[in-house]
Amino acid sequence: MTKKILSLLSVLLLLAILVSSGCGGNDQASGPDPGPAQEGEETPESTVVKVGMVGPLSGGAATYGQSVRNGVEIAVNEVNENNEIEGVVLELLAEDSEGDWSKAANAFSKLAEQDKVNVIVGGVLSSESEAGGPIIMSAQIPTISPSSTATGLTVGNPYLFRNCLSDEVQASQLAEYAVTELGLSKFAILYTNNDYGVALKNAFEETAGSLAEVLAVEAFMDNDENFKPQLTNIQQQNPEAIFIAGYYTEAAKIAQQAKEQGLEVQLLGADGFYSPVLVEIGADAVEGAIFTAGFHSGDESPAVQNFVTKYRELFNEEPDMFAAQAYDAARIVIEAIKTKGTTPEQIREGIAETENFPGITGNTSIDEEGDTIKDVLILKVEGGAFDRIR
Amino acid sequence: MISAYYLQIIILVGINIIMASSLNLITGFTGQLSIGHAAFMSVGAYASALVTLKLGLPFFVSLLCGGLVAAFFGILIGIPTLKLKGDYLAIATLGFGEIVRIVFLNLEITGGAVGLRGIPKDTTLLWVIISVLVTLFVLYRIIRSRVGRALIAIREDETAAESMGINTTYYKILAFGVGAFFAGLGGGLFSHYFRYIQPNSFGFLKSIEYLCMVVLGGLGNMWGSIIGAAALTAIPEFLRASADYRQLFYGAILVIMMRLRPQGIMGEEILSKSNLTESPFLSKLKLRLKKQKNQDI
Repeated sequence: MTKKILSLLSVLLLLAILVSSGCGGNDQASGPDPGPAQEGEETPESTVVKVGMVGPLSGGAATYGQSVRNGVEIAVNEVNENNEIEGVVLELLAEDSEGDWSKAANAFSKLAEQDKVNVIVGGVLSSESEAGGPIIMSAQIPTISPSSTATGLTVGNPYLFRNCLSDEVQASQLAEYAVTELGLSKFAILYTNNDYGVALKNAFEETAGSLAEVLAVEAFMDNDENFKPQLTNIQQQNPEAIFIAGYYTEAAKIAQQAKEQGLEVQLLGADGFYSPVLVEIGADAVEGAIFTAGFHSGDESPAVQNFVTKYRELFNEEPDMFAAQAYDAARIVIEAIKTKGTTPEQIREGIAETENFPGITGNTSIDEEGDTIKDVLILKVEGGAFDRIR
Repeated sequence: MISAYYLQIIILVGINIIMASSLNLITGFTGQLSIGHAAFMSVGAYASALVTLKLGLPFFVSLLCGGLVAAFFGILIGIPTLKLKGDYLAIATLGFGEIVRIVFLNLEITGGAVGLRGIPKDTTLLWVIISVLVTLFVLYRIIRSRVGRALIAIREDETAAESMGINTTYYKILAFGVGAFFAGLGGGLFSHYFRYIQPNSFGFLKSIEYLCMVVLGGLGNMWGSIIGAAALTAIPEFLRASADYRQLFYGAILVIMMRLRPQGIMGEEILSKSNLTESPFLSKLKLRLKKQKNQDI
């Protein structure tokens, strides 16, 4: 008898948790808006423009997705608080992809068909945008990805844009910089075997190979711990620099193990390096590393500092590249709404015509393929902090 | 017309029904715990996508190719691993799943980590419905035949089955082959629906998801797999309303389900209306544990 009661009780308790957390979820969803009551007062005159967001809000890649959502949220808040666009209230609808592209496809489909959003900021991972591309194209909802860097992603899809540097542009510009400015001539490449690493490796190998020499190319997997075999192979070739095409955790470990092996070379990297964790794990081994980035929070321009302050206030952490690019993507959308109008088609036109948009990640233009043209920042680790050198 | 979003969920439910019921043949009816089912799906997905993209063959042929290639791998993995039992078989199938994923990640022809894009969108609701019906019909006929009884006999007691003259190796490989064939078919539908495939979405977690569907629905029950697949596909989508707490809800529902009905929604006892309070699986396990305890003492 007691057992029955106990199980009933546990079910009830769980239900209670569910109900209360469900309310919490709703609160959060409407949090960025000026509040339901206020919205109710405004509705007679203002149109609600729904901004969708798709990304990994849970799972292994959740930090990226959450940063993107936060970045978009700040932009949406700014518009609503300052009444920036006359008669328009933005509403943010964030959907979780769990980092799984087939679930991202569901999220895109829900936003486009069910919620009838006007525009989507997302997906975050390249695979998410690949899977979502055909869906938003047939639904004719303009979509701008803040961080999907896959080669050729936006080609042939007039509704898909992105606001991030493609892997090739970063890697080839870095290779050029390393040869012409740093005077390096013998390179080794160590890449993580996923779409990001492979794209970076290919572009770097091509450019560096044509300007100078690439002596060794080695691969590793995400979450690898031991890079000694690859580093030993690289060491035998005696290069001057290693280009690590991967993310900060592995990059920091590689730097440490290279130092232990007595491999003294210039470390090069791409935007995957941009995180405080690089220095936390890598310590003095990553000192002097040079990498490309789309955003630098130490930038002194008022727009960047405004964003960084707001981000710290709201979310109590440092904004990363994902957040900054998402903020800029949302700002590009807002610009499009201001100049063209609020329907999906008008927003699409507006985004496509973006020219020299002064974003916090640099001046941004969108080319005819929907790709971004912007300057590549080059940062250097100096005294445990990132310094902009170009 | 229903909205494209609901259509997508319905199509996914259909594909997952194919996946869950084919896994049910292996795990539920034959009693071979497999946690590499997503690997068969990925083999089918890649094979059919490549047949369409490189050879330009019609959709039906590419679906069939996907199924056949997957079945080939099912038999291939079946032969060396079927001497293994229980946990060991599970580990072997898990390893197989990882091998497949990493091979696809490194092959040139599968697009490596970038995946395959631009697959034509041939999967329609009609195709999915036909495939589901064919799958269920074939599986039903197998289970209701001499073969099916042999499979169930293997699950209940392999030694006894063998002593009754059942060629256990043959039937186990058959179960793996047929299960893999339909998983490959599901993969073909999947790749031609999303128009994009990438190795990482056929990992270990996907296999576990299918196992969850089968266990939640009830091992060794065809209706169970259908209900399990439909529930576990649709619930996370309906829970989108709860935003941040979605995963919490989902987990809680699974926990509650397993607490209230450990034998699954359509666990055997409902149908046989027996007085047994536990599934044959669990009672066997308890018996074994008891024996072990006695031995320990």
